[in-house]
Amino acid sequence: MIVNPENMSFDGKKFSMILYGSPGIGKTTLALSAPDPVLIDFDRGMSRVRSQHRKAAIFCDTYEDVLNDLASPDMKQFQTIVVDTGGSFITYLQDWAMRADPKVNCQKNGAISLKGFGAVKMEFSRFTSYVKDTLNKNLIYVFHSLEQMDKDGNPQVRLMCEGAAKNIVWTPCDFGGYVQMIGDRRDVCFTPEQEFFAKGCHGIKGHWTIPELGPADTNDFITKLFDKAKANIAAEAEEYAPLKEQYDRVMETVHQILDTVKDEESANRALQDIPNLAHALTSKRESSAMLSERAKSLGLVYSKSAGAFVPKEEKEA
Amino acid sequence: MARYLITQSLLSSWLYIYDCFDGYEDSAMDAFLHTLRREPEELDDEQRQRIQNGIEFENEVYSQAAGERRAPHPKWESGICEIADLLKGAQFQVKVYREIEVAGITFLVYGILDALREAVISDVKFKNKSFGSLDLAGDYLNSPQHPLYFYLVPEARLFRYLVSDGQDVYIEQYEPGDCPSAAELILQFVQFLTANNLLDAYLQNWQARS
Repeated sequence: MIVNPENMSFDGKKFSMILYGSPGIGKTTLALSAPDPVLIDFDRGMSRVRSQHRKAAIFCDTYEDVLNDLASPDMKQFQTIVVDTGGSFITYLQDWAMRADPKVNCQKNGAISLKGFGAVKMEFSRFTSYVKDTLNKNLIYVFHSLEQMDKDGNPQVRLMCEGAAKNIVWTPCDFGGYVQMIGDRRDVCFTPEQEFFAKGCHGIKGHWTIPELGPADTNDFITKLFDKAKANIAAEAEEYAPLKEQYDRVMETVHQILDTVKDEESANRALQDIPNLAHALTSKRESSAMLSERAKSLGLVYSKSAGAFVPKEEKEA
Repeated sequence: MARYLITQSLLSSWLYIYDCFDGYEDSAMDAFLHTLRREPEELDDEQRQRIQNGIEFENEVYSQAAGERRAPHPKWESGICEIADLLKGAQFQVKVYREIEVAGITFLVYGILDALREAVISDVKFKNKSFGSLDLAGDYLNSPQHPLYFYLVPEARLFRYLVSDGQDVYIEQYEPGDCPSAAELILQFVQFLTANNLLDAYLQNWQARS
């Protein structure tokens, strides 16, 4: 099904997010404010969530248990999968990798091998795209934070996560929020600062105050944040769609012009024509680079003094 | 009127004085002075190999992205293909420059974009060390590259660092509002040069050809 930008809807858009911060700061409760969540309780942390804010959870002994539950028809009722915590998930994956292929993934002393770490990393990526793309759910990874010192002795907060997964987890995620106390208020920040890394997009940036939840309050902070992101995407698409259309039209014309460039004369005709197109976004720079490349392949170079392409030998002379 | 070149590598070399590990400030300053005086840096075999690896990786990525016939790389094929997929249809090695006046001096900011497509600038980085337990998040937060390149290409909407060790790919991206302006960075650079009596050395060595 081909859908043009002006007809696209982002109502069903799903997001992935990292939430990290100190233990006990309320990350799990915050994650449960996402739309229709189910929590995979790797960390056995649901008991710490106030009873009125608890949601459905998957309790498991092995990674295979989780995969079985995710494949069940009961999953249809949930829009969001919360992995709590990402660090414990890695531990479950290590156990799975060593059981699945002990010869390759296990060292003699029982620790995971380098190849085992590779298998964990691959499965972590596969799991992330399975939840996002195949199940089409929002995905929230909750991580504890790890405070370390940078080389100047300044505190630096990072994800508590073993191995290379801590790098690959950032790439597919739309948002990465660091949860912290600022004075007496809880805050989640989606813009990186010297002390911590964070990630925002679709207009979700900077510091957001997390409201205190009373017994009768609805826990819907992340739901509202996702709604805001969807509204921003729609607004952005409305603004961007005409530019993108114009860009596509111009680039199509540029390709047609470049197809006619066969010699010095036609290259110089293109040099006159391309800047006069109704350019959009970066089409002018891209087309200029394409023309230079085409001219170069014909042995031509741009001469500033002549304001035209000339044979390379002529310019050098 | 004289104009003076500003490149991201010059500013990176300067910022490394602040960013290097404790105890390496003197060697970082030496390296910066070499760059400032445009003296060729003496490299050992390992450093040369690292640079060579980066060039080889990038060339393979561009070749793959352009759909050229190539033999799979024996060590880095997975990283090459993953980054090349992100760069399909882009223009590579696009030269850009733009004047800016700061502190009464006219500078010519100059850069080469690794890849440009649809208002997205991408920069390919090769890590010679396997990602392993490295923590890459935030590695480019203080880089002068994206602020300068957003100045050079004001119509750009996104700057992506595409980092690979040949196996995995880590992406860190910034939007125009996420960083200090080029003018702020250049002003701090001029203030540093002035405070360290290095402004003349800069003006002598970095004048742009008219």
